[in-house]
Amino acid sequence: MKFKTKKPPIVMNSQSTFKRLYTLHFSLLFISIAAIIIKAYTIVPEGVIYNELDQSFKVFLMLITGAFVSVIIELFYSLSEGNTSKFNSYKGFVEPINTGLLIALLLPTVTPIYVLILAVVVGVYAGKIVFGGYGYYIFNPVLVGVIFANLSFSSQLVVTGTPLMMLKEALHGGTFTLTNMTELFVGNYEALAIGSTSVILLTFVFVYLCIARVIDLRISGIFLLTVLVMSFGIGYINFYVPGNFSGVFGYTLINMISGLTLFAAVFLISEPVSSPTSRETKMIYAVVVAVLMMLVRILGAETEGIVFAVLFGNMITPFINRTVKRSNSKTLLKTSISLVIIVLFLSVFFGFILQGSLSDIFASIGGALL
Amino acid sequence: MITEYRTFLNPKKVYLPLTDVDSKIAKVLVEKEDRVLVGQIIAYKYNGQIKTPILSTVSGTVVGFADKIDRYSKNVDHIIIENDMLNETTELKNYRKLGAKSQPRNFVHNVTTYEGIISTAQVRNKLRDLGIDKVAVDGLYTPLKFSATTKHIVINAIFTNEPFISTDYETIIHHAEAIADGICLLGIAASTESLTVIVDKFMPAEALEELGKAIVDKNIDLVTIDVKRVKAWDYKVIKKLVKKDLSFNLLDDGVVYTTINAALMTHNAIRKGLPVTSRQVAITGDGLNINAVYDVRIGTPFTDLVNDLEGYHEVENMNLHIGSFLSGIQLDSDDFSITQTIDTINVSEYREVEEDVCIKCGDCNDICPAGILPQNIMDAELRNVNLRIVDLDTHLCVECGLCTYVCPSKINVLEWVRRAKRRVG
Repeated sequence: MKFKTKKPPIVMNSQSTFKRLYTLHFSLLFISIAAIIIKAYTIVPEGVIYNELDQSFKVFLMLITGAFVSVIIELFYSLSEGNTSKFNSYKGFVEPINTGLLIALLLPTVTPIYVLILAVVVGVYAGKIVFGGYGYYIFNPVLVGVIFANLSFSSQLVVTGTPLMMLKEALHGGTFTLTNMTELFVGNYEALAIGSTSVILLTFVFVYLCIARVIDLRISGIFLLTVLVMSFGIGYINFYVPGNFSGVFGYTLINMISGLTLFAAVFLISEPVSSPTSRETKMIYAVVVAVLMMLVRILGAETEGIVFAVLFGNMITPFINRTVKRSNSKTLLKTSISLVIIVLFLSVFFGFILQGSLSDIFASIGGALL
Repeated sequence: MITEYRTFLNPKKVYLPLTDVDSKIAKVLVEKEDRVLVGQIIAYKYNGQIKTPILSTVSGTVVGFADKIDRYSKNVDHIIIENDMLNETTELKNYRKLGAKSQPRNFVHNVTTYEGIISTAQVRNKLRDLGIDKVAVDGLYTPLKFSATTKHIVINAIFTNEPFISTDYETIIHHAEAIADGICLLGIAASTESLTVIVDKFMPAEALEELGKAIVDKNIDLVTIDVKRVKAWDYKVIKKLVKKDLSFNLLDDGVVYTTINAALMTHNAIRKGLPVTSRQVAITGDGLNINAVYDVRIGTPFTDLVNDLEGYHEVENMNLHIGSFLSGIQLDSDDFSITQTIDTINVSEYREVEEDVCIKCGDCNDICPAGILPQNIMDAELRNVNLRIVDLDTHLCVECGLCTYVCPSKINVLEWVRRAKRRVG
């Protein structure tokens, strides 16, 4: 009698890569449908010829185009390789559709369709297929596509009047008051990305994906925590009027719920392939991304820094993977303590830079560095 | 599912391997056509330091020597003894009490037994003479080797490794006193006071009660673990005892880690003078018509047991697994014989699970009890970077198999880590 000798005859744990992709797939479809519905109620900017329903249809078209183009590219690649068995079932379509939908969700409503197509082509081909497909790429292909669109077609993607932009103006001397909080939570406003507006839905998806173990709480949670701590620190230094915390809270809240913060925590930074592998490195990665994002938001020319920050995080992932050799309680403690100190220090440091007091200090010691 | 208890103590022929993975040199003391008795030393095997006797498990005639695969899937020399079904026992060399009479050659009462407190040397010599050496080999289990550095005895009262336990709680219920005594004897052999028994939180209340009653005033610690959560519990329990990172061979850390079966065998050897001629083996799996826990003579060919279980199911692809599912081994043939080290055999239909690419989720890094990074080691092994493999403390891997278990892409991570370990030595 001959026997097979491969793996033990047991079903391993119930987790599987495909199941995780599928969960993500359904969350993305859910967010996409929500985006289409929300856009039907968002008031259109003044001076445009289309109405709310057209806007909703545009979002629908973008999402469909993104997913379709992504699938077509993967299909062509498989054809050129001569092996299309992957596409025999729906299983093969899940991953390309996810990428396409994410790229579409990360672009504003005003995006021309040809820009979207180019973004998907660059993201999927140059960001993913070139490296060997799912599981091998070093940069998050979604962000490769989005950054290509943002840099090359910046004049076509102009969005004005998002909460984060108003906040930035406020930082540089303008005035900004928080008005309709409900709309901010529901997501009923014009933003940099069509999928990123509804805080309530994104929180719901965040919790669901954490339970399904699709996203790692050690990346996403620490990322959100760092953003919270840093924006609170910066807000405290700049907007604190004695006895009145409302300015500080407002600043923290806007940083947390507007822009791509929550969307990134759910869909972008916890992407497993391009993020580090052990728990210490995951924590370092999350903090690096959060700090860079805050840096771009405060000092950079761009409104939103998460795209650059995550791509930078991907870039240094091989390096931080190399720094941690053991993953025991000692290294965990060391990493956590140093990260807490770094985050606290940087939030104070950024706060003072924003306030301009550091320039004064440099000026007083005779230099003009800042 | 195990449905019955069976005994298979009278095979026609027994096949005893002369060497094993550790002891590679054998010296045979008998010749063809010689008559041997139960418990007679028929050969010695050496591992460079210690010689271990090989005992005949039946009485009968040596009919020859043959090449056969053993339970490690290695081709080794086997001695073949034809059973005459008489079960005649040799008189074993032992420390007899003064004035004690030699008893008639009856299996149970042939030797003087030790009562009460005895010395370390007596226990050690007796264990060696009766060939009790390796009882459990999968995962972290160690052979019963005692030295001056042995500080802790850890007994696993859970039959096989987590997370798939097919515990034979009947043994515990019926032999609780004997097991407790065996644990104490192992403690005497190692001259240590640190005795720990690992039990399952969800053990049947009866078994736990019996065991608790037996060990209550014997200064044995009881550690309860929750086997429903897969986690290298035994590693963690032992690490707490030793208070440092464990090495691959627990004997180096001064720990003897074994199962309750070993404790029972020890008790039988010291108190009743029984050599290890039979042991308990659980035979499971959907590839067989009947599943059973066997009391089987050591040396019985597995095919005899299969015939006793009314043969295999007619399935195309089958898988034969010996030992724990996470760290045991698979054989490509059923032409092996039962040895002292086999506790479970599983024969089941082989179900192909598709391997996906590694998505670098880091689940294996999180679960690893030794705190090393299997994913990174696998990556380094794929890229052939020796320096990085050394850098990542690959030598600390205890091959528990949890990385393979948790992998969502169903990659055999353990195999890659093993390769990396072999590569750097």
